[in-house]
Amino acid sequence: MKKIQYYISALLLVAVAAMAFSSCSEDKLGPTIFPDVDETLDPNSYSYKLDKFLKENYLDKYNLTFLYKMPDISTNMNYNLVPAQYNNAVDLAVLCKHLWFDVYDKVAGPEFLKLYGPRILLMVGSPAYNPSSGSETVGLAEGGIKITLFKVNAMDINDFQMMNDLYFHTMHHEFSHILHQTKTYPPEFNTISVGKYDATNWTGRGNEVCSKGFVTPYASSEYREDFAETIACYIVYTDAQWATLMDMASRGWTTASSDEDNPDAAYYSFYYYKNNDAEADQTAVYPADERFINTVVNEDGSVTRYWKNERDTQGNRIVVHPVEDKDGVNGAEAIMQKVQIIREWFRTAWGIELDELRDEVQYRQATYDMNELRKMVYDIQ
Amino acid sequence: MKRKMKKFLNISLLSIVALSSLSLASCKNEVDNIFDDDAVIRLDNAKAMYTDILTSNGGKWQLEYFSNTEEPGYIYLMTFSKDGSVKISGANKWINYIQSGQLTRPAFGSDVSLWEVIADNGPVLSLNSYNKYFHLFADPYDIPSSSSAASDKDVNETGYGHEGDYEFDIMKYSGDTLYLTGKKHELNMIMTRVDASIDDEVYMNEVVAMADSFFNAKVPAVYINLPNGVRWVVKDGASSILKMFREDADEISTSEKHNVIITHDGLSFMDPVTLDGYVIKNFIRQPDGSLLCRDDNQTTMTADHLANLFTNASLVWRSDLKDVGGKFAQLATSIADELKAYNKSTLQYVQVSYDAALETYTLIFNVKKGSVKYNPTYYMSLKSASNTQVAFSVAAEGDRYGELYATNCPSIREFADTFNSTIELSANSLLAPTVMKSSINGGDYVMWSLQ
Repeated sequence: MKKIQYYISALLLVAVAAMAFSSCSEDKLGPTIFPDVDETLDPNSYSYKLDKFLKENYLDKYNLTFLYKMPDISTNMNYNLVPAQYNNAVDLAVLCKHLWFDVYDKVAGPEFLKLYGPRILLMVGSPAYNPSSGSETVGLAEGGIKITLFKVNAMDINDFQMMNDLYFHTMHHEFSHILHQTKTYPPEFNTISVGKYDATNWTGRGNEVCSKGFVTPYASSEYREDFAETIACYIVYTDAQWATLMDMASRGWTTASSDEDNPDAAYYSFYYYKNNDAEADQTAVYPADERFINTVVNEDGSVTRYWKNERDTQGNRIVVHPVEDKDGVNGAEAIMQKVQIIREWFRTAWGIELDELRDEVQYRQATYDMNELRKMVYDIQ
Repeated sequence: MKRKMKKFLNISLLSIVALSSLSLASCKNEVDNIFDDDAVIRLDNAKAMYTDILTSNGGKWQLEYFSNTEEPGYIYLMTFSKDGSVKISGANKWINYIQSGQLTRPAFGSDVSLWEVIADNGPVLSLNSYNKYFHLFADPYDIPSSSSAASDKDVNETGYGHEGDYEFDIMKYSGDTLYLTGKKHELNMIMTRVDASIDDEVYMNEVVAMADSFFNAKVPAVYINLPNGVRWVVKDGASSILKMFREDADEISTSEKHNVIITHDGLSFMDPVTLDGYVIKNFIRQPDGSLLCRDDNQTTMTADHLANLFTNASLVWRSDLKDVGGKFAQLATSIADELKAYNKSTLQYVQVSYDAALETYTLIFNVKKGSVKYNPTYYMSLKSASNTQVAFSVAAEGDRYGELYATNCPSIREFADTFNSTIELSANSLLAPTVMKSSINGGDYVMWSLQ
């Protein structure tokens, strides 16, 4: 009897279990809940020409999304940011192609940026201000795939210095981050200026950082920024700008207040005595604007500098003296050591000749015609 | 045996019920969809719906825009096109600053940029490319010439700017009005459809003219007149940051500030304001120049009673006697003739004001002879007879020149004496009464301008 009960019970259980499973087994996966988005560009769209240019030259070619219509979720919401102006986005889109992507295509080969280039380029109209430090962020590289260019609305295409400092420099700076986030740079780079970085007070530093082996004040904030800044400056600085940098790096610097700990102190590399009389008046005068210094090369090859604005009581020119370099660092040598490490790293890690890259950027920066570049967008039918 | 069998069957039945309920529970979450479609599809439909709403019927809307709680709101006209562009027009002092570096007056500006309805947590209207006359409120740059009232020093807003939004959660659509909330700073705003045929510049200039007509710096204060008869004093109206306090309360300890926006039809507070239990927000301009609260159709905003303004000891009213009627017109002609005959002088204006030194009201006739001006003056009492009536009582005596000119130009004295009665007052606007008409028996009148 017990056996019968057992069989009946087992049969019932199997039947119910079968019912239970069969009731769910009829469910099938339905169609996706996500709508089928049509990726076709609308020729009647106001931004069709730019969208088509971006699709053909960035998305299709490099699998890169060029974001100029600002999606604020792509930014840090702690900042107050605004979108880029449409026309400026057009200018920067063609400039990025001409001065950055086409350069790497030519120097490193067409596959290089497909493999290592960023996947997202985001244009933001305003700078990202950091009110607590008084600094502003003009570029960001994140996770090896995304680069953000800020301050797009401040762009003045006729101001080469500004274009170079804000955009060309930032492009190569941020891409350098992408590169070293992908392949680590040699650790000996970090040893050259060890102990001289200041992540907090770099914003108060000026040209005197060159004398300590940094290309910019920002480079003196930390190792990796030093690395990216050195690459960017070496690539985008004209020969004259680089020579000026080397000159400043070779000088001595001081503050008029002798207060080197004061982040607001102005730094000077020349001084003179009123009336040329160092004994009568020991107070050195620091000329803030070095454009008023005349440099004269003497017959023996030595250099004498004069202050344009004043004469002594005898009518003689006021002699300007260089500040003695006491920081114990050969700034120019330190910078060139860094450049050499970078040069080797580009060659061995990426198979790219840094100077070839620089020459190509320099040539393009010196010769580009903005109206011609814009035609790449505006002539699209 | 039977009992055993029954017990067995009971246990089996219970097992079946238990398993059945389990099996049903396993499928329970797949039945009875509350919504017609999946969330993504509904959001996509909402995007399409709001895109269609924004672009239909010409696609022109008026946005009552507030950047923050400390600044006035500004009207913007937005014309949304199906090609993804939007024309945004406004007229305010910040646009003037962009155009000329001046913050003195509003200026009109119009620019085209891009827009899109996107999906975040819900449908969002995103003005996603920079429009130089709109996104200025979201720019993080320092605001020029801004100062805090406490220190009166220019405040550095670098990194913050006005903190205005350019993306808006679409909360509701009702009666051709979209109810929006700034996505980042969460201020509520409304956007109302307007006729697509209106000219942006004409419309915006009318808004500026409306603002000019509301609050005049010469008028010391205006009042919110509640249905229960209580008045709230409103100061600083020209700044659109209204300083308000109950008339019978202490100004310093009880005043509160509310920012408003001047619209094409009137004035609106950024948020509803509760005064003595009355909730007010939107005011519509009336033909008499006053503002009527649209929310309760009773509360008004006006200047003080006309009689109080005309007798206000700190105000000066003048008439050049060019806009006078009836007997006053005849007297004006006589005065001109007599002055010419007497010493070839001309009348510049007549003035009603209070002389604090003499502690009396005066009626002054400003007369010019060559380059020299004389002020024959007559003393008088001036009292409110009702909200719109004043009682003049011009004394027989005047100052030395008053006596002299009364003798040689008797029409001057007669003009003064004609005021010796109760005068009816009316004004060009009950909110900004800068021009007042004083009349006796309707036809005999003089127009006065507030100085």
